[in-house]
Amino acid sequence: MGPEETAARAVLACGEVRTCLLPAGQALDSRAAAQLLRLRADERVLVSERPNLYGRSPDTLTGVDCPLPSSNGARVRAVGTVAARAALTEGRVLQTSAYFRVPATGPDHRRPWGHYLVRPGVVEPFGKLPREAVAQGLLDGGGLGELDVGLIAGGLLTRLLRHPLLDQRPPLRSRPTRLRWVALPTQHGDGPSIERFTVAEDELRTVRLRVPEGTRSAEIAGLCDDLALHDWLLTTVVHILDGIRLGPGTPRARPLPGPAEGRPTVVQALRPAVDHLLHLWMPRARVSRELAPLWTALEEQPGFTRQWQALVQRIRDQLTLHAIPPASREVEPSP
Amino acid sequence: MLVFAASDKGGTGRSVTSANLAYQRALTGDHVAYVDFDFGSPTAAAVFDVPGAMRGTEERGLHSYLEGEVTEPARIDVWRQTEHPLLRARPNQSGRLVLFPGDVGGGEFATDEDALERCVDLLLQLNGEFDLIVVDLSAGRSYAVDLVLAATAHPRMRYVPFRWLVFHRWTRQHVIAASGLVHKENGILKGGVDRGHDEETLQGAIRFVRAAVPDPESPLWLHGSPAQAAWMQACDEALRRLAAEHRIGDSVVLGIVPLEPILQWREQLITEEDVLSTQIANKETLEALEEIARRLTDDSHWGRP
Repeated sequence: MGPEETAARAVLACGEVRTCLLPAGQALDSRAAAQLLRLRADERVLVSERPNLYGRSPDTLTGVDCPLPSSNGARVRAVGTVAARAALTEGRVLQTSAYFRVPATGPDHRRPWGHYLVRPGVVEPFGKLPREAVAQGLLDGGGLGELDVGLIAGGLLTRLLRHPLLDQRPPLRSRPTRLRWVALPTQHGDGPSIERFTVAEDELRTVRLRVPEGTRSAEIAGLCDDLALHDWLLTTVVHILDGIRLGPGTPRARPLPGPAEGRPTVVQALRPAVDHLLHLWMPRARVSRELAPLWTALEEQPGFTRQWQALVQRIRDQLTLHAIPPASREVEPSP
Repeated sequence: MLVFAASDKGGTGRSVTSANLAYQRALTGDHVAYVDFDFGSPTAAAVFDVPGAMRGTEERGLHSYLEGEVTEPARIDVWRQTEHPLLRARPNQSGRLVLFPGDVGGGEFATDEDALERCVDLLLQLNGEFDLIVVDLSAGRSYAVDLVLAATAHPRMRYVPFRWLVFHRWTRQHVIAASGLVHKENGILKGGVDRGHDEETLQGAIRFVRAAVPDPESPLWLHGSPAQAAWMQACDEALRRLAAEHRIGDSVVLGIVPLEPILQWREQLITEEDVLSTQIANKETLEALEEIARRLTDDSHWGRP
């Protein structure tokens, strides 16, 4: 039996994913990706090249002993380990993901560490877990001193970003995003579902899932990594398109000093998207079969791939328009 | 692009001018971060008019971040969180303007290797996210100055472009002090070379901004007597000679901000509205700020053809 089965049955899983552009001028090839992701000497990095280039580090464990956040102020101390790993997609998008699961009840005293170490990624509550309050507390983010899985994901990201392989020359400006998730068991043997997907702040997304009992938390984390990756791609490409100006722009009350360049041309602004991002769209590439239906729901509403295709089409149209020599254009497409 | 705002003395208008430069760049569409490394006397909250948003950031500011007490410093979206009615209507096509506040009551502290690494992490992260990062540094050869000199010499920062603006007022004492801050034995250049910078390259990245400069031609002085006008002219010329002797002459000046009553009385952003509708600010001041903001990234003003 694997550790997943030996632990008491989990009734709540939770995690946070950080997603950012790899700060390197060139995408990393599979060898360099493996080097970056070698977080532990004793375990290999998973590298796969189909259907796209993807590398994933072994899990690292962080021991925790602190209260769980809760929405109703209930104070639940919990002890265990949080698993964290990093992934690199097409040598270009870096993600770190920290997650754990919680059984419904735990012993009311702390056991020796050996007990927790054989249950990687399990955090046991003292006594009974007030599941709903803790699930909401985790989504809202912990207060000072409470378990904050985002800190663990963030710490791993900081560590990776210091790697000497990275030349710190990102090809485009982009913002990192955070996706925080909780998963509760489904009732009456229903299939998995997304209860809520929100864009809480500029960079923060929260997801509340229902998954069949017994779903491995690593698989849920894998689904959430995939959501976070594609959400980041959409966000980043939308921002690139927001940054281009078409036509002469709004006239100002007073003319600005000097010519109004300094701003990249449309082609300069769109090129990094073509070079580095457009080929990354591949939802469900590594989502387990049990959880894949969740993507179908997102494709219907809000329609991730639909939006992506519209964005890609817009970029291609703009580039086509700018490929026409100026003499043949009736109207200038850009200032 | 990183821009470090330094001054030898307080009261040079460094913070208010650099905040205005950040604002002007955001108006033109750049994503701009304003980083308050003025440890001990953070003023950015007043300039950007975000006192409400500052509540709750007391222990999550840059000071706490550098000391390792928090892993991410607080950030304040100025367009969204300002209480300034004109700023709240974020102009269409403007870029983001994000303030990274210092901690309330956080003083100077000693450099250590961890703080340096965290400073590099932060500057690299901002460089990946923003087009322009304005870092306001405490006056004098402060800890903040040492920290960013070390950070920009760090191998991880080797491809991140940076520039320095040294602000000073247009008086004898301030001209001498500003020159000393850069050129003296314990100045920025020497400190930079000690930390691994190439002297010539570093010097090429430093420009001066003369602030609160009375313009004898300005309507403010129009009613002065001929004797006053002649005296001002003579003083201005003497100061120019002094500045040139101290190696901060016109060739290394990025811009001149005229003496502006509203900046003297209240540190604030100068909007187009202040000039056109209410006319409480002078058009020349706004134009000077716009011009300096533009020159920040105009290589021809930085000795590069």
